[in-house]
Amino acid sequence: MMSSVPASDKKSKLLVYAIEECPIDGQKTKRAFQVGDYVTKEGGKCTKCGNPTRVTLVYAESSKASG
Amino acid sequence: MLSGIALQAFPIDSNTLITLLWVASFVAFFFYGARLQTYNALREIGSGLNKLKVMKDKARKEAIDYMVNVGKASGDPAQRVDQFLDYVTIMPVDIDPAGLVNKIDHVVTTSNDRIRAEVTTLLTQPSPVTVSISENLLEVASALNIIHKIVRHYYLLGKKTNSYFTLIQLQMLLPLILQEADALLNAVDSFKVGQPVGDGIGPVTVSRYMVGKEKRVIAKDTVLAITEYKGRKLYVVKADGPMGYVGQPGVAIKKVIEEMGVKPSAIIMIDAALKLEGEKTGEVAEGVGAAIGGIGVEKFQIEEVATANKVPLYAILVKQSILEAITVMRKEIAEASDKVVQVLNRVIEEKTKEGDDVLVAGIGNTLGVAQ
Repeated sequence: MMSSVPASDKKSKLLVYAIEECPIDGQKTKRAFQVGDYVTKEGGKCTKCGNPTRVTLVYAESSKASG
Repeated sequence: MLSGIALQAFPIDSNTLITLLWVASFVAFFFYGARLQTYNALREIGSGLNKLKVMKDKARKEAIDYMVNVGKASGDPAQRVDQFLDYVTIMPVDIDPAGLVNKIDHVVTTSNDRIRAEVTTLLTQPSPVTVSISENLLEVASALNIIHKIVRHYYLLGKKTNSYFTLIQLQMLLPLILQEADALLNAVDSFKVGQPVGDGIGPVTVSRYMVGKEKRVIAKDTVLAITEYKGRKLYVVKADGPMGYVGQPGVAIKKVIEEMGVKPSAIIMIDAALKLEGEKTGEVAEGVGAAIGGIGVEKFQIEEVATANKVPLYAILVKQSILEAITVMRKEIAEASDKVVQVLNRVIEEKTKEGDDVLVAGIGNTLGVAQ
């Protein structure tokens, strides 16, 4: 009993996302993380202005929180 | 027949019997209680030890699989990996503490260089990212191997000497040890795919100031970019990403001040900090002093150069647990980078004036965070 890992720290399902941000108009796009992604990597084109975006964040959130 | 005679000679009613049993159990627990608890402790530690063994075997396998599948290791790297797991770094003698930090720096640098050289020779596709991830995976496997060995040592020692206090202490510490081991094992999943970890919040923040600027290597695995903010010249330092490096920020800051002749009005360091239970993940705290963990070499170097040049040291910290620090960056931590930028800009504006030089260092593992 005493040697168990606390329940809150047990593995919960985490989904990892990359946030692409347009340096011109600040438009942010959230997509699933792909192997090879890293912060500052060039992303796709901005959905608003068509300029190239950049990955500004990579983070995980629980599948519950993301809906 | 005999018991009948005994009962007739000493008549016992049920109350007396219960009292006798209670006294007997009290006497038994008085003399054998510790032994019973020892058996219980041995059972629980044995179970924890099995979990640790599974964890360290899994971490070892993951490291080998990564080196074979991604690094395309020549032959079977298992034997070399096992040698690495038992690899020891002997710390210098500390009975004469003068110059101790330089000696520790020398020994640790030699150890790190050797590990990188060995990993590089093992892989047939040794890209810097692959080598750094292999190093990180081996460090995790090595840490779990050491934890397992130490717990096993005290378990067997307590069992052999029947030492109640050795076993009880180990039993009490075991949940914390397992929690840390679990965090290490979880880190493997992030390392394998090169995802930024919570500890990388410092590099994530300063990378915003470095994007599009010319970068140059200022120390081993460490880069410098020069930029401007409201009339101040910012010297921004971080480990070279997206590799899983922590770099040598101490050496870098020393070089900027002593070799480049920069006289900064402030050194501002951004790092992850372990939160206390009850504190919120992603909380941003401010302070003074060198915000950097590790063995102490880098911290000593930064404090020494700052003191010698009378440069104030400011710290911006992002709170997180040990699990969050070494596993994929949580949303709360990543989103704290906006607040850190605001705090950093405010500190620059409040503590320095136009025309000043300011040194900004993003401290932490820079896996998955370029610049």
